[in-house]
Amino acid sequence: MDRRRSSTVQPTPSRPDRHARIASLLNAARDGRDEAIAEIVGELSPLLWQVARAAGLTCGDAEDVLQTAWVQLLSHLDGIHTSAALAAWLVTTTRREAWRVRAAGRRQLPAEQDWLTAVPDPGPGSEDRVIVDDQQRTLWAAFGKLSPRCQELLRIVAFVPRPDYEAIAGVLGIPRGSIGPTRGRCLAKLRAILPSDLEGSPS
Amino acid sequence: MNPPDAGGRPAADGALDEVDLAILDGIREVFQAVDPMPADLPERIRFSLALRDLEVEVARLVADEDQRVPAARGDEQSRMITFDSDSLTIMIRIDSNSDGTARVDGWLAPPRSRTVEMKLPAGSLTAVADEQGRFAFGQVPRGTAQLVVRPAGDGPGDSGRSVVTPALIL
Repeated sequence: MDRRRSSTVQPTPSRPDRHARIASLLNAARDGRDEAIAEIVGELSPLLWQVARAAGLTCGDAEDVLQTAWVQLLSHLDGIHTSAALAAWLVTTTRREAWRVRAAGRRQLPAEQDWLTAVPDPGPGSEDRVIVDDQQRTLWAAFGKLSPRCQELLRIVAFVPRPDYEAIAGVLGIPRGSIGPTRGRCLAKLRAILPSDLEGSPS
Repeated sequence: MNPPDAGGRPAADGALDEVDLAILDGIREVFQAVDPMPADLPERIRFSLALRDLEVEVARLVADEDQRVPAARGDEQSRMITFDSDSLTIMIRIDSNSDGTARVDGWLAPPRSRTVEMKLPAGSLTAVADEQGRFAFGQVPRGTAQLVVRPAGDGPGDSGRSVVTPALIL
């Protein structure tokens, strides 16, 4: 990837004070402070949206599933004290709710996941609306060649606050402590597919 | 550190290197572009979390169907929605009043006499389900709404929790 570009894009929050801030928001939420919950909702909902959509839900079902997961959190605040535990609990619950909806067979997607088909084929015109960048288009094409499992894993991890990677790895069924190798397998596959100029060579 | 080798493989120790992080940033940007979370969703979630009690029973939406052939949204056909929780099924039928408001008729199964609250952005409406579990809200402003079925009484034997539905758009 382009170093210049990545340096100008704000990564997910990785500030060292994130853990303390989330812990204090959780404390405030336990005391019934709505604004604390509201802040947590704003911070983690984009991740949960990707979790629900990666599980194959329609947008409408994803919205319901996110609400259901958040309402359930209210009853579980007593057992959740850290940023990593919070993210892991929410991802787990969102996935479980998503599977429940899929198992019920309600408003299922066609065979292909619509977020994949929503991305236009290379060609002049329409794709400029969503993917304006040649590098993004190349990355997307390579991403599409990965296994569904790798796609889901990388899609979710890409939205996880960096300090919480390890906790999410456990949630995704990867033994704790081994996010590296597993993450590496999916990322290594992606990097093998990407053209070398995009893959980025050490300089 | 472990830079990628000539084959571009990530560091063997599993640590994310700079290229990995850039790729993940790229994946995030693409998904933010092609499948963004609806901008108003956090506000709906906050609305549905503004409950007086933290210990609640979740009612999940299990069916949401129009009575007639699906047509463009905003029409006036009646809509049937079913929610299920561990202890209760909530069914509602939404019809249009001539003044533009919605009429909501509901049933609780198994039949129970309960206080049913309809939470709205501007406040809330209250109805009481009768012994057959029937309740009705005659005039509800169109917009976001959430149902909360309050537990019966305050008796020492009543460990019931409020049953809450997701916020829906009437």
